[in-house]
Amino acid sequence: MITRIRAHISKELLLLFRDRAGLALLFAMPACLVVIMALVQDAPFRDFSDRQLQVVYKDLDRGDVGRQLREGLERSGSFTITDGTGMTPGMFLDAIRKGQYQVGIMVPEGASKVLEARASSTISSVFGPLTGTGTGPGAELDSATVRVIMDPEVKHAFRQLVHASVRGILSGLSSDRLLDGMRAELEQVTGDSLVMPVVTEPFVDLHEEMAGGELMGERVAHDSTQHNVPAWTVFAMFFTVVLLGGNMVKERESGRMLRLLTMPGGTGERILGRMTAYLMVCVAQGILLVLIGMWFLPLIGLPQLRVAGPSMIVLLFIAAVPTALAATSLGVLVGSMSRSQQQSAVLGSTFVVIMSAIGGIWVPLYIMPPAMRALGQLSPLHWGLEAFNVPLLREGDLWELLPSVAPLLLFSVVCIIAAIVAERRATYR
Amino acid sequence: MTVPDIRAEGLVQRYRHSGTNAVDGLDLEVRSGEFLGLLGPNGAGKTTLISMLTGVLRPTAGQAFIQGLDIVAETQRVHGLIGFVPQEIALYGEFTARENLAFFGRLQGLDRATVREHGNHLLERAGLLDRADEPVRRWSGGMQRRLNLVTALLHRPPIVFLDEPTAGIDVQSRAAIRELLMEVHAEGVTLVYTSHHLEEAERLCSRVVIVDHGKVVAEVTDPQALAAHERLEDLFLQVTGRELRDRS
Repeated sequence: MITRIRAHISKELLLLFRDRAGLALLFAMPACLVVIMALVQDAPFRDFSDRQLQVVYKDLDRGDVGRQLREGLERSGSFTITDGTGMTPGMFLDAIRKGQYQVGIMVPEGASKVLEARASSTISSVFGPLTGTGTGPGAELDSATVRVIMDPEVKHAFRQLVHASVRGILSGLSSDRLLDGMRAELEQVTGDSLVMPVVTEPFVDLHEEMAGGELMGERVAHDSTQHNVPAWTVFAMFFTVVLLGGNMVKERESGRMLRLLTMPGGTGERILGRMTAYLMVCVAQGILLVLIGMWFLPLIGLPQLRVAGPSMIVLLFIAAVPTALAATSLGVLVGSMSRSQQQSAVLGSTFVVIMSAIGGIWVPLYIMPPAMRALGQLSPLHWGLEAFNVPLLREGDLWELLPSVAPLLLFSVVCIIAAIVAERRATYR
Repeated sequence: MTVPDIRAEGLVQRYRHSGTNAVDGLDLEVRSGEFLGLLGPNGAGKTTLISMLTGVLRPTAGQAFIQGLDIVAETQRVHGLIGFVPQEIALYGEFTARENLAFFGRLQGLDRATVREHGNHLLERAGLLDRADEPVRRWSGGMQRRLNLVTALLHRPPIVFLDEPTAGIDVQSRAAIRELLMEVHAEGVTLVYTSHHLEEAERLCSRVVIVDHGKVVAEVTDPQALAAHERLEDLFLQVTGRELRDRS
């Protein structure tokens, strides 16, 4: 039996090696897809990580507020600032409207004086009763407004970022000025020279971390490479369905199946041999695409695929095998159920494309609406992607693989049993 | 009493969709070393009968035995005893002749050395040895037909079924196949052969059975001995009629 299964494996592999179009479909197409999709999705992924917004900055104040606001925005690292002080108001608005800059910030003339006046007024209202120098109630104070103008294309998340950044810096400036004023008043009251502590960090600390292993460098949870390499690897594995199913139908339609049916060995052996061959192909696809992620994508300016250590490589392999098994099982089922090669090609490719779309292959599931997220849980490609994400994103362990691997194995068993039944019906009339 | 190589008792194959019998209670015995010609018009039940005798099709009723082995209960053992040449070219066109033989030989449990030895011998007899390393799809139809036969003989089975092995090929290839079949028959192999070439059957077979409507309607024990005025074709038309048998 082993000899016969090995014969079927060799035959399938040899058929594949002789089929240049098939090889291109199995290896060149997913390699191109990984590169193209990683390039296409690089910018959107950076939106959520380290992309910088282009800001044109018009400082009409030319005082502390204008200067310190600009310095604060530059320090945040989220903005690339261009000086637009020399622009006319019309040029300034046009530059934003035409998309040359995503954000325009205009600090009005006299903003520093307004800050100074309001701080002094507040301090006087507190210390006036002590020193007898307070301003009387009802004194009219000037106001100043920093204008933030947005390109309509800028997403809501970025608007929030700009708003929070500007407000945070302005609040900091107001607090600093108040502290400074209070120190002066206290010195006047006590007659001593006071040294006020410089507060650079909030008293209550903030720490951000990923819900998973620590990724190296300044990386955040996801980038284009880390999403696209596993996603298109899973897609490529499942796309073998088209070739596998087609070859099965081709064999059945020709006299070859009739000869095979009159030779020792049954349906199970033929299916097992075929699945083992394609399992090897799927693992080879996985190795190729991971190597592309690790070595080729960085060469074209994309983030490198990070695999954190040898244990994660082992885990990656363990994730690949049940995914490949599910893909090949689906392939033999499609091949067994189809009555023609066209039917097999249409059935296989349509199923895989739809399942990949809802399974989070094209765009991550987490940015889909809740209904689509729920639907995506039913896709075997989603389970495969989740299995790959355990070593690649979460740096998890074998136990964390189980929730994804278990449905893949169950799916495989169901497909294989159904394939054997359908194949027997199609061949032994 | 020696066990016949092939024995069929009341074999029935009923079409589920039409309810008609393709093979209708057929009895047949083929002794070891016989060259049996199975003749009949289109739709007579020849291919269905061969499909049942080779274990591809499960009989609706009746039993069949190959060297005493029940074809349903002991299909795997039966498959080790038979060779089969289907009507279609049952080869991998992308493979060379040697690669085709290697694959089918391994399924029959032959080791590499045996496949090479038997394969070269048969390829030479079929006039294919010098092109044995070319992909089969580049070959002519006649060459493919010859390899189709060689593949069935590779494991030296004692019984070979041939379903129209010379259909649609040139005279030279047909002659080469005939010669190879006669050599194999001379070596003691039992052959069961279907064809529409009545003269060919007359020349090759040691016995001819004419089948129609799933039953044996005539039998000629020594077709070569038929007198000139008793041509097999006349007998064939006499027992099967002149009505056209176009398949729907």
